[in-house]
Amino acid sequence: MTAVRVALFDAGSKAHSAAKHRRTAKALRRQIIVLFVATGMLLLTASRGMAEDDSRGAQLAAICASCHRLDGHDKGIPSIVGLDQKEFVDVMAAFKSGQRSSQIMHAIALSLSDGEIVALAAYLAAQPTGTKQR
Amino acid sequence: MTWTRRKFGCFAGVGCLAALGRVARGQAHARVVVVGGGVGGATVARYLAASAATLDVTLVEPKERYTTCFFSNFYLAGLRSFESLSHGYERLAQQYGIKVIHDTVTTIDPVVKTVALQGGGKLNYDRAVVAPGIAFEFDAIEGYDEAATHVLPHAWNAGPQTKLLRQQLENMEDGGVFAIAAPPDPFRCPPGPYERACLVAYYFKQFKPRAKIIILDAKDTFFEQDLFQDAWNRHYPGMIEWLPGQFTGGVKSVDVKARVIKTAGETFKVSVANIIPPQMAGELAQRVGLSDKSGWCPIDPITFESKLQPGIHVVGDAISSGEMPKSAFATNSQAKTCAFAILASLTGVEQTTLHLFNTCFTILAPNDAVSDAINFKPEAGSIKIKDIFVSQVGESDELRRDVARAADGWYAAFTHDVFG
Repeated sequence: MTAVRVALFDAGSKAHSAAKHRRTAKALRRQIIVLFVATGMLLLTASRGMAEDDSRGAQLAAICASCHRLDGHDKGIPSIVGLDQKEFVDVMAAFKSGQRSSQIMHAIALSLSDGEIVALAAYLAAQPTGTKQR
Repeated sequence: MTWTRRKFGCFAGVGCLAALGRVARGQAHARVVVVGGGVGGATVARYLAASAATLDVTLVEPKERYTTCFFSNFYLAGLRSFESLSHGYERLAQQYGIKVIHDTVTTIDPVVKTVALQGGGKLNYDRAVVAPGIAFEFDAIEGYDEAATHVLPHAWNAGPQTKLLRQQLENMEDGGVFAIAAPPDPFRCPPGPYERACLVAYYFKQFKPRAKIIILDAKDTFFEQDLFQDAWNRHYPGMIEWLPGQFTGGVKSVDVKARVIKTAGETFKVSVANIIPPQMAGELAQRVGLSDKSGWCPIDPITFESKLQPGIHVVGDAISSGEMPKSAFATNSQAKTCAFAILASLTGVEQTTLHLFNTCFTILAPNDAVSDAINFKPEAGSIKIKDIFVSQVGESDELRRDVARAADGWYAAFTHDVFG
């Protein structure tokens, strides 16, 4: 997005000559259209990438949701949304090694690959905390 | 590539998946019909509907409310209200746009892909999910038929049966005998009959201290046996007697009127009898041809699609689950896997690596709970245990209290995960 904005500004600054106004404006319009199309494609690509990460994260988070509410509610089992990603990865590593004891979390952590734990950390960190959706 | 319809806002994390439905705009939405509104059916429906706005999800369930079998032993002990175990379908309908139909499915045509309802309607589907729970083998114990359950409850489907058993326990005289007939493997909730003995003993200890409990088991061993026998000795000394199948030959017949239970060699006259019969896949599974001669439904362990009827998926207690126990937690885990497999087939969203889990919280006494935690892997077309961790005899009171507290929190979070 930033790159696009700079390009537009540059194009605009070239349009100060009254004599070349009409031609420049036409060129500018064309340029803007090209930029919009390019930006749209970039955004589409980006959102598809994000969506795939989201899908993986959401499918993995579904595992957690059997015990942890993912909307910030905490009734005896701690909330795991909005956590620092590194902290989450470290805690899961401790559960995996058995350094931190919990037979349930040990079984979960052993089933997840390191890559999946990182994906899960990113997904859970991005979830809003303290919402009252039920 | 087509644009997708986005659902705004994330409900419990899964709402974000809404961005992923890839059924083209203008094209008819893919239809999934889920039959059975227990833990399996409700979980599949919720995860499908929350993950893709482009799917039409219909849930068919005759009952207006579902009563959880898990934690119903608390109710039998007077530790939880019946209402606290009961869950409606309003949020699934309102928040997730699931079409909930309260009707009974009479048949499913897997060729034309239609589900026929008793009320007369027919539903077309691209994928169907059947979560029929369990049925009882009524001919296995002589004299124990459907009518007998109104006198000698099984209380193994929660609801009126659970209330009936509680009422009988309340009316029982102090000094009476309460018998539990425990079924052969495989059956729903492996620790269930023994937890029931614990929690009924907890109730007796306070109100009918001279009462006795006998467990007439079809088996010679049972899950978490050492934990239970340790708890029976510590909390309820002299109250609970367990008789394995090798001693008695198992329950052969009942005399409903006389409240008499006969094993191969002995006769027991009891005050209250809880007969938990041998089990098989729910009746609809038998009718639709989803079950094989074992009585259970063979499935693909990655997609949970029936091996007998393509296009129909089966989850929960009704499946041939290999080493995966028949429990609400396991069912919920299977249901999510199944939902993501269906999403993959209908919308192209990639299914993540398979992760299947089970945890059972088992209550030995208030503030004394144990658990097991298992992860599974698909192997040779079945489901095998990969890692298993179970509570040990001799753990600290503090740890047991923590597990009991976690169990409470789990119930709240879990039922939210299932019913929204």
